Amino acid sequence: MIQFHNLYLAYQREASALQNISFRVQRGEFVFLTGPSGAGKTTLLRLVYGALMPTRGQVLIDGQNITRLTASQLPFLRRTIGVVFQDFKLLQNRTVFENVAITLEVQGGGSKADIGKRVMHILRQMGMESKIHLTPQRLSGGEQQRIALARALVNEPKILLADEPTGNLDDANKQQIMNIFKEANIRGTTVVVATHDRRLIEQAHYRVIRLQNGELLDAGEVCDAQTE
Amino acid sequence: MRKQSSGKRPAMSSPSAQGRFRYFLERAIANMRQNVFVNIVTVGTITLALLIVSLFLLLFVNLENAAENWSEKVQVTIYYDKELTPQEQSDLKTSIQAIPGTSRVNWVGRDEAMRRFKGRLKGQETLLDGIRPEVLPTSFEVSLKKANRSTEAIDQYVTSLKKLPNIGEVQYGEEWVRRFNTFLTFMRIVGGLVGGFLVLAVVFIVSNTIRLTVYARRDELEIMSLVGATRLFIKMPFLLEGLMQGLVGGVLSLLLLLSVHLLFLHNAGNFLTFNPATAGLSFLPVEYIAALLAAGALLGFLGSLTALRRFINEITG
Repeated sequence: MIQFHNLYLAYQREASALQNISFRVQRGEFVFLTGPSGAGKTTLLRLVYGALMPTRGQVLIDGQNITRLTASQLPFLRRTIGVVFQDFKLLQNRTVFENVAITLEVQGGGSKADIGKRVMHILRQMGMESKIHLTPQRLSGGEQQRIALARALVNEPKILLADEPTGNLDDANKQQIMNIFKEANIRGTTVVVATHDRRLIEQAHYRVIRLQNGELLDAGEVCDAQTE
Repeated sequence: MRKQSSGKRPAMSSPSAQGRFRYFLERAIANMRQNVFVNIVTVGTITLALLIVSLFLLLFVNLENAAENWSEKVQVTIYYDKELTPQEQSDLKTSIQAIPGTSRVNWVGRDEAMRRFKGRLKGQETLLDGIRPEVLPTSFEVSLKKANRSTEAIDQYVTSLKKLPNIGEVQYGEEWVRRFNTFLTFMRIVGGLVGGFLVLAVVFIVSNTIRLTVYARRDELEIMSLVGATRLFIKMPFLLEGLMQGLVGGVLSLLLLLSVHLLFLHNAGNFLTFNPATAGLSFLPVEYIAALLAAGALLGFLGSLTALRRFINEITG
């Protein structure tokens, strides 16, 4: 589903941010991407959804080489990828409902009623249906995280990327978020979670890809029987 | 509790182009409601900018009107030192009228000439005691069509006038006409320059204001791009918003201009003796009003377009 081939990435004038990265993530897999701060986790995720282009090497998403995508093709790739950002990136002047609906609206498909149904459906799964008219600043960190997740999952993406999704959450919230990831994975979504939370990784027993200083330390073992 | 099969997922029907446009429009209006302050600033800037331009236009239009009234004085006079018979008068009048460029032909007989002469010497009529109308020449006064009031056109006109049989002594204020036309050209050049600079300044100010408002919402642009919106989809609500802001700014500036006009300017002519033909300054003609509204809309639209182009390139790489 996700393949990196001899990938290098250098920011202008700086030492390379990623060097010689090669690994693959199978369809339906659940992997952790880990490493100390500055190891390149976020950068790697950004390469997957095309916010960055590699200096050298290839990134293949579902068989598509993203370095060859034109600017007008990129949006269609992104519609198949749900991303949960470290800072959530929720729109502060829009309601919870609008924040989630935006994923469906930008695809230009569906009537208002269709969109409403699907948004309510996912918000109910997140236990947020009572807060649809609130704006994000009135929500707790855990609630905002769930809205960000709802936005990423509402169109049932093939790939879900999450950047430090449990960063500021307490244990109860962490558990809840992990359960949502697992369920998305069970329904067939390939999940990549970037985190440096060791306990999270140890509890879950999924494959772990380790980065350090922009280099691949360990790609873990590909295991096909992860969907249990 | 949770959705299990994709079969249960509510179906998404494909929207019509009309439905899409309605979405963009609704989005644009919602954006304006959610960013009231930013919108007030933008609309205010556009309003003021267009008000400056329209005040200038108003001034220019009135100057042009005044100039046109003055140019009525461009006249060719044909003098005769005898009274013409009615038959001669009408024959000559017909042949003068036949020359292209003639607007009006007016016969001034001796009595009429005497009356005018007296009028000019108002208060000193005694000077005319003992002078009889017979000493004054009779004349045809010919006013010209607008297109024939330039220096060259008058020369040409006079040449063809002189070719008529039985024509008298032709006179026209060559020097005055030349100066007047030079003045007109000068006024138009200065007006064009000042107007051009004003328009440039307005475009610059408005596009920068809009750029700031787009910048204030780059999060929204970024998120839309990250969840897979096409460039057009991201741009459309902003473009519509710019268009509406421009239109609203245009309407407001016209309303302001109208109230300024009604309050002060419409009778300004009385003390400026600017345009004695009509009492006071006239308002902008309809074409100018339409052009101002269109300019407002275009300004908003293009301002948004240029601002967006830069940010979208930044965001989508």
